[in-house]
Amino acid sequence: MLGRGLKRKLSDYEESMAGLSSAFDSSRSLPYPLKRQLVLNMCLTKLQTYKMLVEPNLHRSVLIANTVRQIQEEMRQESSQQPVSICPGIAPAAHSYTGMESPGVPLQLPSGVGQQESHCCDLRSAEDPIENSLLIVSDDDMSSAISSILKDLDFVEDISPPTCLVPTGDDQPKFPENTGLKLEDDRQDLKGAECVFGSFEISNSTSYLKDLAIDDIFEDIDTSMYDSDFCCPPLMPPRSPSLATEEPLKTFPSCNSSSANNIQICRTDLSELDHIMEILVGS
Amino acid sequence: VFPAGFGSLMQDVLWCFSQVKGTIDSGVTEADIISTVEFNHTGELLATGDKGGRVVIFQREQESKNQPHRRGEYNVYSTFQSHEPEFDYLKSLEIEEKINKIRWLPQQNAAYFLLSTNDKTVKLWKVSERDKRPEGYNLKDEEGRLRDPSMITVLRVPVLRPMDLMVEATPRRVFANAHTYHINSISVNSDYETYMSADDLRINLWNFEITNQSFSILCIMQMLCPRSFLWCQDRVARHWPEIRELQPQLTLGLVLSSCTVFEEPEDPSNRSFFSEIISSISDVKFSHSGRYIMTRDYLTVKVWDLNMENRPIETYQVHDYLRSKLCSLYENDCIFDKFECVWNGSDSVIMTGSYNNFFRMFDRSTKRDVTLEASRESSKPRAVLKPRRVCLGGKRRKDEISVDSLDFSKKILHTAWHPSENIIAVAATNNLYIFQDKVN
Repeated sequence: MLGRGLKRKLSDYEESMAGLSSAFDSSRSLPYPLKRQLVLNMCLTKLQTYKMLVEPNLHRSVLIANTVRQIQEEMRQESSQQPVSICPGIAPAAHSYTGMESPGVPLQLPSGVGQQESHCCDLRSAEDPIENSLLIVSDDDMSSAISSILKDLDFVEDISPPTCLVPTGDDQPKFPENTGLKLEDDRQDLKGAECVFGSFEISNSTSYLKDLAIDDIFEDIDTSMYDSDFCCPPLMPPRSPSLATEEPLKTFPSCNSSSANNIQICRTDLSELDHIMEILVGS
Repeated sequence: VFPAGFGSLMQDVLWCFSQVKGTIDSGVTEADIISTVEFNHTGELLATGDKGGRVVIFQREQESKNQPHRRGEYNVYSTFQSHEPEFDYLKSLEIEEKINKIRWLPQQNAAYFLLSTNDKTVKLWKVSERDKRPEGYNLKDEEGRLRDPSMITVLRVPVLRPMDLMVEATPRRVFANAHTYHINSISVNSDYETYMSADDLRINLWNFEITNQSFSILCIMQMLCPRSFLWCQDRVARHWPEIRELQPQLTLGLVLSSCTVFEEPEDPSNRSFFSEIISSISDVKFSHSGRYIMTRDYLTVKVWDLNMENRPIETYQVHDYLRSKLCSLYENDCIFDKFECVWNGSDSVIMTGSYNNFFRMFDRSTKRDVTLEASRESSKPRAVLKPRRVCLGGKRRKDEISVDSLDFSKKILHTAWHPSENIIAVAATNNLYIFQDKVN
């Protein structure tokens, strides 16, 4: 998108926003909570605008959502009178991992991921468990078993492993769940966060927040299944034996793209993924 | 303080204006906005893609002994419509025809091949010359009309006659329907048999011969850790032979089994609401040597050694004066601008764009840097570019420009450096500037 120069013709709203953002940039005396509120308002306005766009930029939406989340996290901590941590982002120790070590390792079930991954903006465990999200499974031998399982589960090609999900909602793509799984007690806090949020005046965005319950924004695995009418064919259609020796290419039947395009959102139950993994691992 | 003499920086390279392509009109047609620039492997060809879905290829003319000071100008070689706007009926939205990336394939015969991509579809184009035309068909006359066979009494062999050079571009492959999100980059594997395309969430690996299948690598990590470039496309491409050995462990397009995360710890003193956004990486480039990776985020360019993933070996400030303007830049979305970065042929100098049609070069060995401008004002043949300076505040010297006067609508996102010579192509909205170093 073409950025607009700072000297430009502004609508009333943009004028006031520009005035505020200039004030943010130039004024040292602007109180921090006000700055934070200003940024939050801008974020929510942008997300609201993107919601109306048919195809928002995923990366941008995620970055804005992360900013919202960061601010909300701060507010939540403040409201619960815990020491405010403004810089929760602790980068993990850089991690080098070579999967060549052994084929069977690591096979982390999604539930395992849930316990170890955490909010991407917030604390990450020192042993950055990137490898925990890597799922190494066997290949050709399992393909037909996999495809039948997936067909049963209406698995969607677009879904990532459980650490990254796209919330359900309209047929428009929303920003995805880009964080890891939260621990259970976080969900309790989030209810409190919802109250905190509700007390702030957020213009133009209350409908946004109400349309997507806060729980939806922060829920990592949602158990609802997408409407089966829109589910696309399984990831790996049953393959003929002649293909078994070839590279495991994914086929795109002609109908796949349309349904894949249509489905931005799909969720799989943790237990169902567990089930898949058990079968794949053969344990 | 200016260094002695204009442009006496970086091992005495003086950058001069060479050419500019595009209209001079003040009004910019949106379709003409250049969206990608790429030299081919020899530097003989320079391709641009624009928002209107067109590809324009320039060819460097042979240097002539008669005019030694004109070091091979680039002239239009071929223009074709690569992508058209499409409509996705299911999502009820338009698919932009804007060319996001062009990648050349190395030349293997007389024809040139390139990949061009918009948000959803990658196409392989063959660009070939035709300078002969067959004449003397038996069954057709010169206008192509069929002859009455009963009137033919003599048979002859058609002959090839010279004709005016014609450059044709034909689509040879179309790779579609594999990306849910917008394709932001493509990268050709060093085996030249496969290539990758990436959107925000996924990388697809394609074989050039197969258009209805691709091998999908989901890269969730890109979303989790925007500061890390877990899936450096080029890296995966270069190491594909090793990765291919891991195939038995890959299925369902889930995740590759080996990866290295390059991530620098965050500086807590610089923390702001926008920290994550500005540390988001907008471009990644391997050095020509393959030893280093360069990353561009909103305010800096960083060089990483492949063997050291916990911090970059070099960090260059592109326009740190913007740090105090982040809220305004967030408000007008400029903070999301994706600047690219390039290496020179010897990996000694790196270049990236900025606002106000400025672009910056950093000499890695001398640690000197320069800011230059792509503007019509300095577009006289072989005029040496004058270094520009941005003043942060306080007294503004003559020839300096203050931060508040910068034009944020004039941004240089796309640049390219000739693979072996000091020739650079800089895309400034709808104009393509070509600069060369001064020939003495």
